[in-house]
Amino acid sequence: MSCTVIKKKRAGVINPVSNCQPCGAQYAALGIKDCISLVHGGQGCSMFVRLVFAQHFKENFEIASSSLHEDAAVFGGGKRVEEGIEVMARRYPDLRVIPVITTCSTEIIGDDIEGTIRNAKARLKKIFPDREIHILPVHTPSFRSTHVAGYNECITAMVKGMAKQTTANGKLNIFSGWANPGDVQVFKSYCQEMMVDATIIPDMEPLDSPTLPSKEVLTGGGTTVEDLAGTGDALGSLCCNRYEGVDAGRYLEDSFDVPMQLVNTPIGIRNTDAMLHAISDMTGKPIPESLVKERGLAIDALTDLTHMFFADKKVAIFGNPDLVIGLAQFCKEIELDPALLLLGDDAYNFSRDPRIKELEEGLDHDMEVVANADLWELEDRIKNQGIHYDLILGHSKGRYVAIDNNIPMVRVGFPTFDRAGMYRQPIIGYRGAVILGELIANTLFSHMEYTHDREWILNTW
Amino acid sequence: MPMVLLECDKDIPEREQHVYIKAEGENTTMFLPASNVATIPGTLSERGCSFCGAKLVIGAVIKDTIQLIHGPIGCAYDTWHTKRYISDNDNFQLKYAWSSGMKESHVIFGGEKQLEKSINEAFDAMPESKRMFLYTTCTTALIGDDTRAVARRVMDQRPDVDIFIIECPGFAGVSQSKGHHVLNISWMNDKVGTLEPEITSPYTINFIGDYNIQGDTFLLQEYWDRLGIQVIAHFTGNATYDELRCMHRAQLNVVNCARSAGYIANELKKRYGIPRLDMDAWGFRYMADGLRKIGAFFGIEDKVEQLIEEEYAKYKPQLDWYRERLTGKKMAIWTGGPRLWHWTRAVEEDLGVEVVAMSSKFGHQEDFEKAIARGRVGTVYIDDANEKEFFEVIDMVRPDVIFTGPRVGELVKKMHIPYINGHAYHNGPYMGFLGFVNLARDMYNAVKSPMWKLAAQDIREV
Amino acid sequence: MENKIEQLTEYIQKDCLWQFFSRAWDREENIEGVLNGTEALLTGPVEEATSDMDRCHMADAKVLSRAFTSSFGWIRDMNKEELHALFQGVKQRMREIVITSSHNEELHVKNY
Repeated sequence: MSCTVIKKKRAGVINPVSNCQPCGAQYAALGIKDCISLVHGGQGCSMFVRLVFAQHFKENFEIASSSLHEDAAVFGGGKRVEEGIEVMARRYPDLRVIPVITTCSTEIIGDDIEGTIRNAKARLKKIFPDREIHILPVHTPSFRSTHVAGYNECITAMVKGMAKQTTANGKLNIFSGWANPGDVQVFKSYCQEMMVDATIIPDMEPLDSPTLPSKEVLTGGGTTVEDLAGTGDALGSLCCNRYEGVDAGRYLEDSFDVPMQLVNTPIGIRNTDAMLHAISDMTGKPIPESLVKERGLAIDALTDLTHMFFADKKVAIFGNPDLVIGLAQFCKEIELDPALLLLGDDAYNFSRDPRIKELEEGLDHDMEVVANADLWELEDRIKNQGIHYDLILGHSKGRYVAIDNNIPMVRVGFPTFDRAGMYRQPIIGYRGAVILGELIANTLFSHMEYTHDREWILNTW
Repeated sequence: MPMVLLECDKDIPEREQHVYIKAEGENTTMFLPASNVATIPGTLSERGCSFCGAKLVIGAVIKDTIQLIHGPIGCAYDTWHTKRYISDNDNFQLKYAWSSGMKESHVIFGGEKQLEKSINEAFDAMPESKRMFLYTTCTTALIGDDTRAVARRVMDQRPDVDIFIIECPGFAGVSQSKGHHVLNISWMNDKVGTLEPEITSPYTINFIGDYNIQGDTFLLQEYWDRLGIQVIAHFTGNATYDELRCMHRAQLNVVNCARSAGYIANELKKRYGIPRLDMDAWGFRYMADGLRKIGAFFGIEDKVEQLIEEEYAKYKPQLDWYRERLTGKKMAIWTGGPRLWHWTRAVEEDLGVEVVAMSSKFGHQEDFEKAIARGRVGTVYIDDANEKEFFEVIDMVRPDVIFTGPRVGELVKKMHIPYINGHAYHNGPYMGFLGFVNLARDMYNAVKSPMWKLAAQDIREV
Repeated sequence: MENKIEQLTEYIQKDCLWQFFSRAWDREENIEGVLNGTEALLTGPVEEATSDMDRCHMADAKVLSRAFTSSFGWIRDMNKEELHALFQGVKQRMREIVITSSHNEELHVKNY
């Protein structure tokens, strides 16, 4: 049985798995309270990212643009950033954080973002002497890496720009990695059950916001400026993803001696166990009975599915590397065979990722891992190479591969605009394992019924 | 009332030039909002970039063509899965996005080799498609890749393929509108007249500025078929690349969206003497009048009257059912530009709905001339409105329904106002007679949803 | 007469897209073409249109003349000279609104 890790051989991209860096930076900033990103580039760089966010969350988010035009390509765009910051500060009195997110154009032009921010701060000081607005440079040239690195860059820039060291606050920093509101809810609930005071960075939970009788709009991130400042005083940092937010944890360790632990993406039972152990290690708090029970519920539910329905099913998975690898580990746990992993990024040496090595060991089927992958890697295998997959796990951009080839698909990752409420469903923790496992089962069941594939098994299940 | 400085704009007084409330007896010679000018940075405008104006609005609609974007991945990713333009060839155009996937090394050393490989790979992967639209982006424009030379090389090596190049990086112009312009004029210069169509009818038209949103083109095509009119090219709903090369052979250009495609109609008039006839394809009376004009042009008035009679018999009672229930409702239109003037009187005449606010992302002054001439007194007309202005205008005019995009739709939902997708529709098509019944139905279902009453209740007071 | 001119002008303003073509020369051409055609249809007899451009203007004129006769009953009572004066007046007003007094800064841009 073999495992191959290759890079996409084609030069171009047909149906991208990943977006570009500025998208990831804008996503990360959504989780910060009283924060509006200023994307320094053409208007499309923020406009369409806002649309993707709206499609995914079914919510509107405020993101500003420096509205770069031709003249800036010649004379530089710094003035537009300064003007934009002032306009935002004047019109949004509660605004406290402005990440200035660069793009391909402004990185190529070579705008001096740090200098521009200094000027803008001086300008604001004159207009609002009593107001502090954190203006942070986030360098995300679109031609480097993907939205994954952009996310990491923005989280790191926030922490670098705001973390302080004063007195120990006994809190635990949790760098969740690319997460949905449903996932953040699980982090919060586990910390509460363990009586751990945690700062989730970024807190995406309140992005899922209510329609209220008062018509108040509450949509917005939950991590405050104080939370971010306090990350330097924390007792430790838990980084839940290898590529998403980990540099912020490293920075806090290097600069403020805040110890950091990196755990596997907490998808599945074993990864959740490891996360809870890490939380317990760092905080000295025991794992409570309630979580033992929740774990038991998950195992109880999944055991009904694994060897009867899931065993030997070939799965193709695409999306963010941390997500895909976490899902593959979960698949192994529930007897699904991860046969193709499409990692939508080229910035990391995945053959060195210990999780890939671990997956390789004890593999009883063939597995292909493709880095820098696009969705044509999947479609081409199915249509032209005759490779069969029983299930696809991935985000909505891959929907037609599933539809046209009649393969059941579970929407997971970002974005998941073609299914209702996926952002609300956690995939992490024991809870997420049940939800995801049962969603996979029910998707396979529907497929059995609509294709008359031994659907009678379910007559008596 | 002259131009208005909204409360939320007190710190950006330039905005006064963009907001107008029409008073009794006023016309556009007195007041006309400034438009198609640069957005103030940091205002949270709704505008996109010129690249998307070309690719997303016009190019990507074409059903048989590879749309390769030469740049970093985001430009392809972000203009994919954004609109509902369907086709009769299994929606090839909806399913794929192609990019040269520029990386840092290509920025430093040039991206032409990467582009050439990407083009060849795309043609190899999709052997059924021999046509390509190739777009430059901010990155490739700034580093100065010679895309034309690359395309020529590929066409030399592959004589059966044809490549069209669109050079409108995102930073060009002030909005999507620049992209419409660049694509129109480039297509005219490079491709129109390079192929001859087979003429099958004495009556030939191009139908310009309709993008087959949820089947608009299919619906209109039914009318053309019944009238025996041959459409040389739809620009660009359900069109093929080669049909669009034949546009010079139509006897008449019928224009619906004058903003995104008026340019090519103007050029066809100038260069080939083909007259331009503008019409509104939304609304009963508008559609009927449009068909009558086309009928008059070809001398087939009787056929047209028969078609209108049949359509009215079939759909007018349904329209009237909704009219009875929608009369007096207040509507806002927050879309790109042309739908302001297409819809304001159509919904008023056909459905008794009053349009109380209109905002245009990328319209020009020509669009405001039309919108204001057709629009109501007391209505707010805004160019390039931003988010705070939306809130303030909603408070001023209190609409019952808003036709806008899904993102703004999510925003107004919090204010207990239903939205209808004004770009891609909820359940269209919306053009033609059946289409306007669909629009009315969607509006009625939105307004009558029990959710709005529930939303307004405080559980503690119920 | 002035009131009648205003009524027709208002109708055209609210209804007709040909008045709003992109450039001043297009608008001029349409005002002349469509309104002369409309006048001819109301006074009769109409000459056969020879060019495609004329046919296009007449297409708009036909719909407009029908709208005028149904919306403005008084128009049927006017004689040829009165109609001519009326349409001269309407054309002048249209020119004023959509060309000479228009704030549209693109009307005189050389290229499309």
